[in-house]
Amino acid sequence: MKTKYILILAILAFMASCKPDIDEFEPSSGNADFTSYVAVGNSLTAGYADGALYKSGQEYGWANLLAQQLKKVGMQGEFKIPYMPDDNGVGFRGTHPVTKLILGYSTDCLGNTSLGPVLADPGADPSVLMANLMKSVADQGPFNNIGVPGIKVGHLLFPGLGNPALGPGNFNPYYTRFALHPATDVLIDEAEKVDPTFFSLWIGNNDVLGYATSGGVEDSITNPLLFEGLFKAVVAKLTSLTSKGVVANIPTITAIPFLNTVPYNPIPLTDSLAGLLNDGYLIYNQMMEALGKDYRIEWHEGMNPMVIEDKYMDLPAGFEQFKFRQIKEGELVTLTVPQDSIKCARWGTVKPIPDKYVLTETEIAKVDEAITTYNAIIKQVAEDNDLAYVDMAAALEKAKEGIVIDGVEFNTKYITGNIFSTDGVHLTPQGNAFVANLFIDAINKKYGSKIPKVVVSEYPTIQFPD
Amino acid sequence: MKRIYYFLMLLAIFGTSNIYAGGYQVRLQGNKQNGFGLIGTPLNNGAGSIFYNPGALSFVDNKINVDVGASFIMSNVAYRSLDGDYTAESDNPLGTPFYLYTSYKISDLISVGVAAYTPYGSSLVWDKDWAGKFLIQDISLEAIYIQPTISFNIDDVFGVGVGFVYSFGGANINKAINLSNNSSVNLEGKASGIGFNVGLFFKATDELKFGVDYRSKINMKLDDGNVTFNIPGSLEPILGGKDHTFDTELPLPGNLDFGVSYQMNDKLMLAFELDWVMWSTYKQLDFTFDNDEESPLNSSNPREYKDTFTPRLGIEYKLLDNLTVRGGYYYDPTPTNEKYFTPETVSLNSNAFTLGLTWSPLEFMDIDISYLQTMGKQSEKTYEPANFSGLYKTVAYVPGFGLSFKF
Repeated sequence: MKTKYILILAILAFMASCKPDIDEFEPSSGNADFTSYVAVGNSLTAGYADGALYKSGQEYGWANLLAQQLKKVGMQGEFKIPYMPDDNGVGFRGTHPVTKLILGYSTDCLGNTSLGPVLADPGADPSVLMANLMKSVADQGPFNNIGVPGIKVGHLLFPGLGNPALGPGNFNPYYTRFALHPATDVLIDEAEKVDPTFFSLWIGNNDVLGYATSGGVEDSITNPLLFEGLFKAVVAKLTSLTSKGVVANIPTITAIPFLNTVPYNPIPLTDSLAGLLNDGYLIYNQMMEALGKDYRIEWHEGMNPMVIEDKYMDLPAGFEQFKFRQIKEGELVTLTVPQDSIKCARWGTVKPIPDKYVLTETEIAKVDEAITTYNAIIKQVAEDNDLAYVDMAAALEKAKEGIVIDGVEFNTKYITGNIFSTDGVHLTPQGNAFVANLFIDAINKKYGSKIPKVVVSEYPTIQFPD
Repeated sequence: MKRIYYFLMLLAIFGTSNIYAGGYQVRLQGNKQNGFGLIGTPLNNGAGSIFYNPGALSFVDNKINVDVGASFIMSNVAYRSLDGDYTAESDNPLGTPFYLYTSYKISDLISVGVAAYTPYGSSLVWDKDWAGKFLIQDISLEAIYIQPTISFNIDDVFGVGVGFVYSFGGANINKAINLSNNSSVNLEGKASGIGFNVGLFFKATDELKFGVDYRSKINMKLDDGNVTFNIPGSLEPILGGKDHTFDTELPLPGNLDFGVSYQMNDKLMLAFELDWVMWSTYKQLDFTFDNDEESPLNSSNPREYKDTFTPRLGIEYKLLDNLTVRGGYYYDPTPTNEKYFTPETVSLNSNAFTLGLTWSPLEFMDIDISYLQTMGKQSEKTYEPANFSGLYKTVAYVPGFGLSFKF
């Protein structure tokens, strides 16, 4: 009798342990060799996010996510990253070092408290941050992720990129920290140190972004002919190390929340206030009419477009101080425009919004033209060198309309769009997973490989405070 | 009154079932039938006819019949991402659909009965952090049917029976929300509905029997369920607080079953049944929050199920005077829609095999034992609104045990 019970129990245990066996995914490297992977690029490749380079951001960087998947198709060893020492990280406002941004509460000039990006540690000592950043990790190298925040294509080839002797603002401390000889090392030469069999190259964003994010004031757009020469030189260097790799192009600037968040018409006016302002601008309008120009500044009840500086205005000599006008729909205002100044200091109504916060239609056209030209070059060079190609611009254009993956809703809106982090330019972990899959798709397509995709829902989005 | 309440509570605890095939229907409503390919419509072998065919109830021998039993569903769902190596497996609790049938033969003409059984239910538990967490983390649906029944025997040739069904139960759902880590929402509430069960039994000869049964659709209305958002404090003002209420409605579809059984000789019986399950009534799952048609939290989730036809074969052999053995097979097609397959109801085209035996140690008592195994065919599925795809495969092992008393 007893054996009968044991038998029944054994059968039950057997049945419970029988799990459905689903066909396994069969990864394959196709005709590529992923033994050693090097990631070359700017802040996006470095894993910069929330306005700073910090440790978990680097871990969540798309290049690292890609590398973890490449381990399943033959990558050997660790994907080495020059990690920052902590999770507050270091970013810059101008030349002033700050921690990363998080979502938090701040109170505006009207006394209203609201949720928005605030510094993770507003009281952080700048000299400590700078010391954290400059502390060399070069002895932990060579590194597989040699992405350096802020670099343009030319910086990859520039000896002394990490040379502190050039003085603040003239060298890149993110390279200094992992260069063996900061004074002389050339960034692209770091690639050779890991004997790469595969590379990724995503560069060129800063060749226009610096111009775009400073409202077309600071920095300049890299001349397309120069860009072409530099980009080709970089690819030639990389393809001399290995013939297999992937390159990505540059998304349009209207895809980034840094430039698509602040509305052109954020000024609420009552009928009487609008009337007062119209009286104030009477002379401006009369003068423009006398000059035979179409510029008019007009106010009405409801939401009104801001008054902005525009150095490209077509006015005769001697009228430079009148180079301001009302912004047009489609012109872009940066995320960094001081909201308090608009709310309480009459910016946008009485005082024109300074040029550095606005991309006018003239400036947008320049940026768009540069990106179109760069992307044509990137695509051509990818084809000429038989490399995989990620059309990031097309992917983000699609994301503007909204894309859903694994129940995660992606779009290019600030905070709620899940792609872009609190700085409005760089990626969230979920955004990095989204981008990693774009790279995987492109590589699989080109090399007939089967790199498993990452699951985007496994990665965090922007965190809200309790 | 209180006693009834406790009784219902007990039923509710016991009545949770797992999904293993055929949407969230669970047809394990009698251990004689379970072993026989779940065929019951053309049979008159016990009080289980209250569920399978009220028309056959008046053809059941004996004055009083009591059938009680349960099944024990051990099920697993495996998932793999479509273009990756991510895998997940559900960790489902033991499902325990049960039945309790009692019948009383008032005269040769009329029999009455009352039953409690659990023809619908689901309980599926995925890992809290699994890839589909924004669709579902875990779900438990349960419905208990209470059915008073009357059956008429016409000239010992035709049986006609009808039962009124009151169904009650509830739902408990957890899903993650993509706002900060570990944010989630819990939906929980009680539901009820009414319907009927009508059957026709035709004894063409002593050997050849036919049955037709129609069980109506029941709309389970869930009113004023509780919604609890588990979210960071800073988001509470945006959602209008953590706590809300919700209303929803889940259809338990109608069934039209046709069955025929044939007694080949003293020992051998064969049966065939075709069940039409009218799943196409399940178009979408709508949630209305806070009794507000305009609430931004409201959602309408397409399901677009289609009707299914399940063919069943059963074979029964009388080994000894007091020992009968059975076997069965059926093919259970999925009612789910190719575009709207969600991991909350992993129903795949399935092949199922059944075994069973009835041993009668005493004249007034049968011991019914059954075993069912169903294997969902590995399939590639997508839920388009969430762009969530994957390969799914299922298995379920279902031993069952029951007692029948006849006086």
